[in-house]
Amino acid sequence: MFNLIHADTSWYIWFALIGLTVCLLSCSTHLVRLVRLGKPKDFSKKVGNTQKAIMYSFTGAMNPAKKESAFMHLPTYTAGILYHLGTFLSIAVFFLMIFNIYFEGLLYWIIPAFLFITGLNGLGILIKRMIKKELLALSNPDDFISNILVTLFQFITALTILNIQLSPVYFVLTGILLLYFPVGKLKHTVYFFAARYHLGFFYGWRNAWPPKKI
Amino acid sequence: MENLTQEKIDKGLEVFENFKDSKLLTHLNSCVHCGLCAESCIYYLTDHNEKYIPAKKVDLVASIYRRYKTFIGKIAPKLVGARELNNETVEEMIDLLFGACAMCGRCVSHCSIGVDISYLVSTGRKMLSNMGYVPESLQATVNAAIETGNNMGISDQDFVDTLTWLEDDLRFEVNDDNAKIYLNEKGKDILYTLNPREPKFFPLSISAMAKIFHVAKESWTLSTKMYDVTNYAYYSGNNEEAAIISQRLYDEIFNLNAKTCVLAECGHGSRAFRWEGPNYIQKEYPFDVTTSVEFIGKYIREGKIIVDPEKIQQKVTLHDPCNLARSGGVIDEQRYILEKSVKNFIEMSPTKADNLCCGGGGGQLAMSEYNDRRMKIAELKAEQIRKTGAEIVVTPCHNCADQLIQINAAFKLNVQIKTIAEIVADAIVMP
Repeated sequence: MFNLIHADTSWYIWFALIGLTVCLLSCSTHLVRLVRLGKPKDFSKKVGNTQKAIMYSFTGAMNPAKKESAFMHLPTYTAGILYHLGTFLSIAVFFLMIFNIYFEGLLYWIIPAFLFITGLNGLGILIKRMIKKELLALSNPDDFISNILVTLFQFITALTILNIQLSPVYFVLTGILLLYFPVGKLKHTVYFFAARYHLGFFYGWRNAWPPKKI
Repeated sequence: MENLTQEKIDKGLEVFENFKDSKLLTHLNSCVHCGLCAESCIYYLTDHNEKYIPAKKVDLVASIYRRYKTFIGKIAPKLVGARELNNETVEEMIDLLFGACAMCGRCVSHCSIGVDISYLVSTGRKMLSNMGYVPESLQATVNAAIETGNNMGISDQDFVDTLTWLEDDLRFEVNDDNAKIYLNEKGKDILYTLNPREPKFFPLSISAMAKIFHVAKESWTLSTKMYDVTNYAYYSGNNEEAAIISQRLYDEIFNLNAKTCVLAECGHGSRAFRWEGPNYIQKEYPFDVTTSVEFIGKYIREGKIIVDPEKIQQKVTLHDPCNLARSGGVIDEQRYILEKSVKNFIEMSPTKADNLCCGGGGGQLAMSEYNDRRMKIAELKAEQIRKTGAEIVVTPCHNCADQLIQINAAFKLNVQIKTIAEIVADAIVMP
């Protein structure tokens, strides 16, 4: 199952590791800052259950049937979900690659195939951003760069699983992605969770979430 | 607009100093510009102009934060779309944050991430307020409240005169010469507030609530000194002025030694005093605050008032005020009341927390500069009402009622607009 792809750690792996360190430090800095700032200090009288509401914010409120951003845009929503799944999988694969673990058997084919599909979804989202005037008006260079880097990350992960010789390119590209991470919107990796927390807290305090029956 | 001075810019940027908790920092950094919030906004749904996409409004505020408060925004602003706070930006902010957002919060619950968009719009309004760019008409409403004690500048004498004839009317209505509209009475259980539109334009809603209190044998009073439930400084973004208004009501509840403050049917007013007020004045309330909708529901449940749905045979629909329902959690109570009080209640679609804003929120009714835009977006609400086939539209908000009255006239809906108290007063069975 396991095999070493590189007996000694090459420069490009070091490059990726530096990227990973920068990325983790950046994420940690944002996280620590959020934690230090703390939860909202509200002087009004709480009438709901904030814990339940925060739970709902991460579960029921994320139900695509309840979000217009999902059910009114099913192709984009589905593409977005697949794209994110591809990103999480690619990150997992990255950690395995660092430890020189590669795939055999069915996984050798299934994972790259899945990543090609998720990468294509990322590409679709990128094209949509380029051609839809509403999205173009919303976008800045970071929106494109972030998408391109993550999409390439998924494609190169898939290709490198299939062909180990591509690992220098793989680690360099991954390093660039990780170094770019703190620059722009990719840091929503951290802020997404904080946003859902705050939303649950806000609605829960006022007893608007979770939805109730008389 | 005169050129922005550095002093004004600094004042605007003060909103990004000293975060009091992690909420603002979170929402400033969360939007991914997916644009999927567009169809949740009544302005975008009406005009399909990309400038109305909620994410665009978020970015107006967040891009300024990035420009002045982040390392990347300072060294490579174009890369992350960081914007200078200059005349062009300010003009765009005024137009979009004041003139094209009802702060209804509908986009918030539908945002794929969970960005509190109306909170960021409110932050942008605060920036503009700090810089002195609140639209004149909205500021005039706030000034009237601060200078006269109510946003319509009604004199005490006019107010008392109105209540006097309403009291006569109440006695006739309930056939009881002892029926009273209590005024400035100390030690009552309830201090009831009003939207100044009531004494000014819709006094019958006061007598409707007085009738309900009378039948429920409630211990209640109004105050001449401070009865205004509204707080337009919540919309102007001036927290200091909002605190003055909240503090006045707080002081009057103390002065009259009331146990509970019951807020009149006013979406933003109930939000501004119940939820935002304690934060404006930085202290917890030692008394209870509730809405009249919840109180009426309680009366029906406890049998303190009996309603007969047979009295109202017309088809009735309900408009949910955004600040009361979506952002205030009062969603089912008004439905319980209507199901008990009318024969034929039909929901709008979408409804409850997803109901569309009438277009009068966010201070839009007070900002005459944007009247045309406000009535244009109102078409969505008109269509919603038309599809129900209702003859009566009930809304627990005088601000919404005002907008609905204008919608009724503009789109020839031929419906009656009523508040919850008015419909319950019509359905009430006299003991």
